[in-house]
Amino acid sequence: MKILVVEDDSDLRRQLVSALEDKNYTVEESPDGEEALYLGQEYPYDLAIIDLGLPKLSGIDLIKTLRDEGKEFPIIILTARGDWQDKVEGLEAGADDYLVKPFHMEELFARLNALLRRAAGHAKPVFEYGPLKIDTTGNVVYLNDTPVNLTSYEYRTFEYLVLNAGKTISKTELTEHLYHQDFDRDSNVLEVFVRRLRQKLDPDQTLQPITTVRGLGYRFALENKDSE
Amino acid sequence: MNINSPLHSLQGRLLIASVVILPLVLLLAGLALSRAYEYSQENELQQRLQLQVYLLLGSINLKEEHIQFPERLTEPRYDRPHSGLYAAIHDQSGQLLWRSLSSITLVNKEIERSGNITLAAGEPQFQHLSDESLFRYQLRIIWEFPEEDKSLIFTVMESDIGFVSNLKEYNQHLLIWMSIIFLVALLAQTLILRWGLFPLRKLAEDLKAIESGSSELLSGHYPDEVEPVTQNLNGLIESERQQRERYRNTLGDLAHSLKTPLAVMRGAGEEKQSIEGYKKLVDEQVLRMDQIVQYQLSRAVKSQNAPLGKAVSINPIVERMLSALGKVYRDKAVTTEVDIPTNLKFPGDERDLMELLGNLLENAFKYGDSKVGIRGDINNQLLQLHICDDGPGVPVELRQVILKRGERLDTSVQGQGIGLSVVTDIISSYQGELEIADSPYGGSCFIIRMPV
Repeated sequence: MKILVVEDDSDLRRQLVSALEDKNYTVEESPDGEEALYLGQEYPYDLAIIDLGLPKLSGIDLIKTLRDEGKEFPIIILTARGDWQDKVEGLEAGADDYLVKPFHMEELFARLNALLRRAAGHAKPVFEYGPLKIDTTGNVVYLNDTPVNLTSYEYRTFEYLVLNAGKTISKTELTEHLYHQDFDRDSNVLEVFVRRLRQKLDPDQTLQPITTVRGLGYRFALENKDSE
Repeated sequence: MNINSPLHSLQGRLLIASVVILPLVLLLAGLALSRAYEYSQENELQQRLQLQVYLLLGSINLKEEHIQFPERLTEPRYDRPHSGLYAAIHDQSGQLLWRSLSSITLVNKEIERSGNITLAAGEPQFQHLSDESLFRYQLRIIWEFPEEDKSLIFTVMESDIGFVSNLKEYNQHLLIWMSIIFLVALLAQTLILRWGLFPLRKLAEDLKAIESGSSELLSGHYPDEVEPVTQNLNGLIESERQQRERYRNTLGDLAHSLKTPLAVMRGAGEEKQSIEGYKKLVDEQVLRMDQIVQYQLSRAVKSQNAPLGKAVSINPIVERMLSALGKVYRDKAVTTEVDIPTNLKFPGDERDLMELLGNLLENAFKYGDSKVGIRGDINNQLLQLHICDDGPGVPVELRQVILKRGERLDTSVQGQGIGLSVVTDIISSYQGELEIADSPYGGSCFIIRMPV
């Protein structure tokens, strides 16, 4: 999952970036509205966290422009004033949720998770697919109710496929959403991750949760047990 | 507009308008007077010449079918060359029968032309021959003789020199008087304007005095037309002053109340504490400071029933808040019911209304299960807004506690949201009240009542 953080205060920005990176999100950051607009236009983000009081281009204008250009990724606004006029204007401009400063990182993660899940079309944070259970709040995958020991990159790769269940995801898209811009795209790291995921999640090779669509990419192919 | 241009002042504008319009009016009046004078002069002349024709007629003798023309006439000017009065008689074929002695100085052409005229009998013709500088009066008379009727054309002409010079003199007088009237009118208007606009100048001076701090309010009597402006200005100045006062108090309170948590944190840094304990303490104090800042900020920004503020339509704001909150609480799939007459207005600031609705509606979305309703009406000059949900509700014994806590949140228990205290604060500033009741949906209803 690739997240854009737009905040002009460098301390808060650093805290946000490192907290998100600790949770294994791929994070890109910008200190002002203009640069953020460029990034938002150029790269496929899964979510953006945008402060309302930004230099060069205000948060509201940034959100409006991104939405006008058809960017649909969820946006959380950060507001310092916390009055309703600010909140309503931000939501009307196209944001999906708001957080009033100061906030706890846990609060941010909860909102962020809910928005990512909602963007993928899921109402509940836990999905079950036969013996597999994915808890997007705790970032844990269970196989027959036993937690599977996944590295954070493996988890993010798997989560992205699950959130886009049924869709074929190209290697390029996966790379773009999971890694930084300067990541070496020619490497076969992704294939290694997928191979390891298959070994860990489907040791008997009976379930086959991840299918390879030759020449196109990967697909999570299981049916949801309790689809909404 | 250039600030030094005369168009920048009311007096300048009115004077410029007068300078442009007054001469036009006076010119038209002058033209009318001049025309009227000319007309009356011509009329008088015509009557004089008519009289001369009748006198001429009377001096003609008839002798055995012959007409005898007079040798001498009673009017001496007919006999004197250059006298300016001329007479001639022609027959019906244009043949000159008689001419006065005075007319020998006239060019013959004019006498001849006077005969070549077709004229109905008895109908006089009066003309100003300006090329020849003459007025001409002509009359055709039919003379009855036993054998045949004879028709004669009588012509009397008078020089227009006197007439023209008279008129010129009159016009010159007229011009002089009109100019005098123009100057006097302009002067009078300037004085009237200065006098009439004096209250406005006084207002400007009074405002300057307030600006420089030597006066607090606009005092003294103003004319009825200016009074509402000064009253409104006074209201504005007063509310501005109160606002400043409130800002100052808020800043003072803010500084004062932030010092305590800061002191606690500094103290904690100096005492021996576990990392976990210190973290917890910082977290608590941050929350405390955050609430203090939010609370004081909302108090300071809140309008104090601004005298020039207008009422705000409630419905559009409710729709905006509901759509914004619906977005945030999309996962809950809350259904909303709105029953507010479209003409229902909130008697105050839009920002206050947004804070009221935002806090109460968010609580309803947060604590309600699946239903939020908002209903409004006006009864006996009392605006009522009900914001209801279908959540667990508030037990009767806790309602007063919650409202009380809202009233004095600056000293309240930590960990409580400050939304409700902002709400009670705003409502009480409008002399209104907040009540918690049972909801028709099974949860709780927050009811705002305020006078309109």
